[in-house]
Amino acid sequence: MKLFLRDQWAFAVFFLVQLILLLLIIALDGYWNESLMIYAVFLSVFFAGAFMVVRYLTHRSIYQRLSNPVQSLEELTQTHGNAAICRALDETFLEHYRLYKEQLHAYENKQRDYTTFIQQWVHQMKTPISVIHLLLQNEDDPTAESVREEVDRIKRGLETVLYIARLDRFEQDFLVEPVTLHSLAQNVLAENKRLFIRNQVYPELKVDGQWRVESDDKWLSFVLTQMLTNAVRYSAGKSNKVTIRAYELGPNVALEVQDYGIGIPLEDIRRVFQPYFTGENGRKYPESTGMGLYLVKEICGRLHHGVELESEVGVGTTVRVIMSAVLPTLQDRKKAES
Amino acid sequence: MSTIMIVEDDPKINQLLQSQLEKYGYHTVNVEHFDRVMDVFTEVHPDLVLLDVNLPKFDGFYWCRQMRQESNCPILFISARDSKMDQVMALENGADDYITKPFDYDVVMAKIRSQLRRAYGLYAPQEGERTVEVAGLKLFLERMELSIHENKVELSKKEALLLEALMNQYPRVVSRERLLEKLWDEQFVDENTLNVYITRVRGKLKDMGLEGAVETVRGSGYRLKAVWEDGQ
Repeated sequence: MKLFLRDQWAFAVFFLVQLILLLLIIALDGYWNESLMIYAVFLSVFFAGAFMVVRYLTHRSIYQRLSNPVQSLEELTQTHGNAAICRALDETFLEHYRLYKEQLHAYENKQRDYTTFIQQWVHQMKTPISVIHLLLQNEDDPTAESVREEVDRIKRGLETVLYIARLDRFEQDFLVEPVTLHSLAQNVLAENKRLFIRNQVYPELKVDGQWRVESDDKWLSFVLTQMLTNAVRYSAGKSNKVTIRAYELGPNVALEVQDYGIGIPLEDIRRVFQPYFTGENGRKYPESTGMGLYLVKEICGRLHHGVELESEVGVGTTVRVIMSAVLPTLQDRKKAES
Repeated sequence: MSTIMIVEDDPKINQLLQSQLEKYGYHTVNVEHFDRVMDVFTEVHPDLVLLDVNLPKFDGFYWCRQMRQESNCPILFISARDSKMDQVMALENGADDYITKPFDYDVVMAKIRSQLRRAYGLYAPQEGERTVEVAGLKLFLERMELSIHENKVELSKKEALLLEALMNQYPRVVSRERLLEKLWDEQFVDENTLNVYITRVRGKLKDMGLEGAVETVRGSGYRLKAVWEDGQ
C-alpha cells in the first residue's frame, strides 16, 4: 500500500493541478456556476479515485511483492495476475530465475565432478600404495621401516581427503546401527599400531565390553582415529600412555581419549574445532593440518553426537564424544548391578 | 591343492599375490583378458576367487553375478573402494567377504584359509600349513609347535609369532618395533610384555637344549643364532 501511494502521488498531484487549471480557465472566462463546479470536481475526483482503487487491486500483488523481501528462490516463479505489467514482470522474474538456476547447476555439476575426481584419484593412489605395502611386508631393515612410516602417512592423508570429499554426500553414506565400542576401539587401535609403536606410546583401553551406541561404525572409527592420532602426536616424548575409556553420562555414553601430553594453550582451545586452525602446537609439530578436530566436530554433528574438549598445558588433553546408548546396554547394566 | 583364481588388473599386485599364495602351496590362475573372465572361470573351476571391483570393461560386481550362476565357490573381493555401499553391493551380488586395499598378506591368507575351510572343510594340516625352517629347527605355525630332530615343544600363539619373525629374518636382526607390531593383534603389547615373551621363548629353547639361541642386539633388537649347528 505504502509503495503504491509513493508510486502514485505524483500522478495524483498532477491530476489535481490539472483539475484546478481547468476550473481556473473556466472561471476566468467568466462562466462561474458554483454547484456545477463542485459537481464537476466531485465527478472527476470520484472517477480518478475509482481508477486508482481498481489499479491498486489489480496490481496489488506486484506492490506487495516489491515491498516484501524474497524468502526463497521459488517465490520468483509465482504469477501475479493478468495485467500487462504483471505478466511482463512475471516473465522477467522467471527469466532471472532460469538464468540463476542455470548457473547454479553449472556450479553444482562442477563441484560434483570435482568430488568424484578426488575420490577416484584417491582410489587410484591406493593401488601403488598397496603395491609398496605388499613389497615391504617381508622386509625388515631400517630403510624398509622408514618407507613403511611414510607409506602410513600417505595412507592417513589419503584417508582424510576421502572423508572430507565424502562429507558432502554424508546422507548417502551412513548407516546408524548399534556399534559395540570395545571392538570398535580395538580395531582402530590395531589399525594404528605402527603409529603407537613408533612414537613409543601405548594405549590403555578401559571400555566395557557391553557398551553399545547408536552410530555409524565407519565414521565413528574415523573420528576415533583422528582423536588417537592427535593424542599420540602430542604425547610423544612426554608421556607413554593414552587412555581410551567409555562411561555412562546421564542417559548417554561418553567415549573419551585422554593423553598426558603437552596440552593446548587456553587461548587456542576455543578455536581448535575450526578448519585449518593449528594454533601454537601446530607450529611446533609441522605435521598438523588443523583438519583433525574440525572433522571430528563436523562428523559428530552429523551423527548427532556431542563433542567436548578439555586441556591444560603440560598436563594433557581429553577429547570426549557423547553418544546416545542403545537402550539394552543401560538396562542390562542396571540389572547386573541390582 | 586348492586352485585360486585372481582377477586383478594391476599387474604388480597380481604378481605379488600370486607369489605369496604359491609360497603357501596354492595353485593360482590369473586372468589376462578382462573380457573373457568367465571363460577362464569355467575352464579352471577354481576353489576360490579373488576379485577386484574396478576392472576394465565390466566391474567386479558383474563378474561376481556371472560366477554365481555357475558355482558356489567362495568369492573374496579385493578393492580400494571402502564405502559401505560398495561392501553391501559386493555381498548382495554374492560375494563372501570384502578386503580393502591396502591389505596385509596375513589378512588375505587368513581369510582365504577360513573361506576354504568353511566351503570344503579342509582341515588337513598339509593344506597351506605354514612352516618355517632354519637349519633343522622347524616351526609349525598352525599347530604352534617347534621341533628340532626328535625334540618337540608346544608354543603359545604369541611365542609362535615371535619365533616366526625371528626365523623368517634369520640371520638378520629383527627390531623391537617390528616384534611389537607382530605381537599386537587384538590386544596391544607394550615393551615390558615383549620382554616377558622373549624370556619365555628363551626358556622354551633352553628346554630343547638351545641356550643362547635368541641374541639381544643392543639398541636395535633381537637375532636368532643357530647355536645348535656349532655343536654338531
